[in-house]
Amino acid sequence: MIALAVPHLFRTPSWAVAWLGFLMLVAAVAPVLPLPYPPHTLDLAHIAQAPLAPGQHWLGTDAQGRDVLSLLVFGTRTAVLLTLPAALLAAVIGALLGSAAGFWGNRARVDISYGVVAVGSVWWALRLPTPWLGGLAAALGLAGIATSGRRRRNVAFRLPLDALVTGAVTALDTVPRLVLVVALAAGAGSISPAGLLVLLTLTSWTTPARLVRAQMLRIRTLPFVEAAQAAGVPAWRVWLKHSIPHAINPLKTLFPLSLARLLGLESTLSFLGIGLPPEAASWGRLMVSYRQEPSAWWLFLFPTIMLIITILSLNSLTRPPK
Amino acid sequence: MARLLFWRLLRTALAVWALASGVFLLSHLEGSTAVELAQPALAELRATGGVTTPAARQALERATRHRLGLDVPLFYVGTHRPASATAGQWHWNGLANQYHRWLRDLLHGQLGASFRTGEGVGARLQQALLFTLPLTGTAATLAVLLALALAQYLAGRPRGHGLLRGALVGLQALPLFVIALGLLLLFANPETLAWFPSYGLEQATDAELDAGYQLPLYLWHMTLPVIALTLSALPELTLQLTAALEAELGTDYATTARAKGLAERAVIRHHALRNALLPSLAQLAELLPALVAGAVVVEVAFALPGMGRLLAEAAAARDFPVLVGGVLLVGAARLLALLITDFLSLWADPRIR
Repeated sequence: MIALAVPHLFRTPSWAVAWLGFLMLVAAVAPVLPLPYPPHTLDLAHIAQAPLAPGQHWLGTDAQGRDVLSLLVFGTRTAVLLTLPAALLAAVIGALLGSAAGFWGNRARVDISYGVVAVGSVWWALRLPTPWLGGLAAALGLAGIATSGRRRRNVAFRLPLDALVTGAVTALDTVPRLVLVVALAAGAGSISPAGLLVLLTLTSWTTPARLVRAQMLRIRTLPFVEAAQAAGVPAWRVWLKHSIPHAINPLKTLFPLSLARLLGLESTLSFLGIGLPPEAASWGRLMVSYRQEPSAWWLFLFPTIMLIITILSLNSLTRPPK
Repeated sequence: MARLLFWRLLRTALAVWALASGVFLLSHLEGSTAVELAQPALAELRATGGVTTPAARQALERATRHRLGLDVPLFYVGTHRPASATAGQWHWNGLANQYHRWLRDLLHGQLGASFRTGEGVGARLQQALLFTLPLTGTAATLAVLLALALAQYLAGRPRGHGLLRGALVGLQALPLFVIALGLLLLFANPETLAWFPSYGLEQATDAELDAGYQLPLYLWHMTLPVIALTLSALPELTLQLTAALEAELGTDYATTARAKGLAERAVIRHHALRNALLPSLAQLAELLPALVAGAVVVEVAFALPGMGRLLAEAAAARDFPVLVGGVLLVGAARLLALLITDFLSLWADPRIR
């Protein structure tokens, strides 16, 4: 009976939405919650105390006497503040790059003046020999763009946009994400939360890019895109206003999934001891801490329950409502 | 077909090279930490009484840099050190740079020497692989066989087995390290059931024991890691294959087969299975690299001396040659997996030929 009820319970998205909303709320108000103990106070009188024991530690304490409830709450904050921006950034970057690659393919005709601006500003920014030359080139290019509306024939070159994006996606996807993050985190040295965010985004924009590109290849052959082009709408407007809203459809399904994956990755990194600085509370780190105190099952159980409910509710959002 | 396969492999090989180069360049930007970690600690130096003056310490650091090959510029072009008069200016470094040396050695089949121990990276990786391959290979085989059996079982009764399906969905939601820690908490814990050891394979195999005793010991230590890896790979394979089988069982040829009087099991085994396998074969290409990543987690959790822990420790100690070698090796595993998958899909669907 329970076995039948549990999957059905998780299949109703309203339940999942309520849980996720609750998590976001907890993450937002964590610093002002009236918790009996702040997260990093060591209560040395009550070490490794079981839940509901005398004292005010409702969910017990860990081997250093820290309150499990506070650690869970602040772990939620870490999880939400890290995975949500990373998933959003990855989705936006993936959608832009993937849709551009799918829309223009390898035949993007770029006016030469844009190329001059790009090369000139890179030259200037990198301080290659005689940087003012780059600045001058960029200024000339800008002037060219400003006047190009009046000229009839522009000199243009072809930018192999599709090859560039698919190449980058293939390169980043050859190695499992965990191995890549471990290797890059080592290179970046001691890593801050912002650095971890960049790292997670860098390694996870590829999946949205793949999906959006594939969808865009289909969209760009549809009649309404042709109609917009025939009506003389500039290519970038057709891309941004007419095609992207349709091409990002797969992301509705992918976004909760990528959140779930990032959540798993973040806790795995905390387990391996690479991601976050030691003072940051995290579900993964709380789970590992039972190894210092093998009898303290509550250190493992509560964050695992949080993690599994969260990932299941994220997964249930990807299914179409029945 | 052969040409397509060739281009695909070439593209993946190029991607592996680009990625390894990226990791190499990014990691070596942080060369100074590696030099610090490779040097003996200051207190240790004081104790031996050798190096105390700042000048001597600088000389030691230069010697370490030279030994690790970090004394030459990183790339073909670069900026000067910020301290010099022409800071921020780009210039050509010539062929005597770290990247060129690495690439040349790589083409000669050498991966360099570990920063920490000075051993050859190739030998280190080989030694670690000898341990990891049986682990991941067993787990992959078990997961595939179990998935085949379970999917046929589940597809036979589309609406039944709520418990099994629920368990698979729940298991899919768990990261691997949670499964590993849960197994440790349940079966390798003096407080609950201490059936299996939680660590200590290295000490056990180092000891002078006869082979008849070592094999059971090895199996005893490897049971939980193999179970953890299998459990993490199983749900996705099973659920995907079940869905594909259920879709195939609704098609006309399945109805025809049933009309001929075949039992449901025979319809699944002889008619639907081969068609349903095609999407799962694509998953198999992901399985081999994913199991290497899984090995990182499992080997750290169970303290096993393999590829995954080598990578994790190399990352912690900034041992870049080992790290880059590991990335290359995982990329090679990906190439191999692609090749195997293509041959398998040729076998499963002759129309592709």
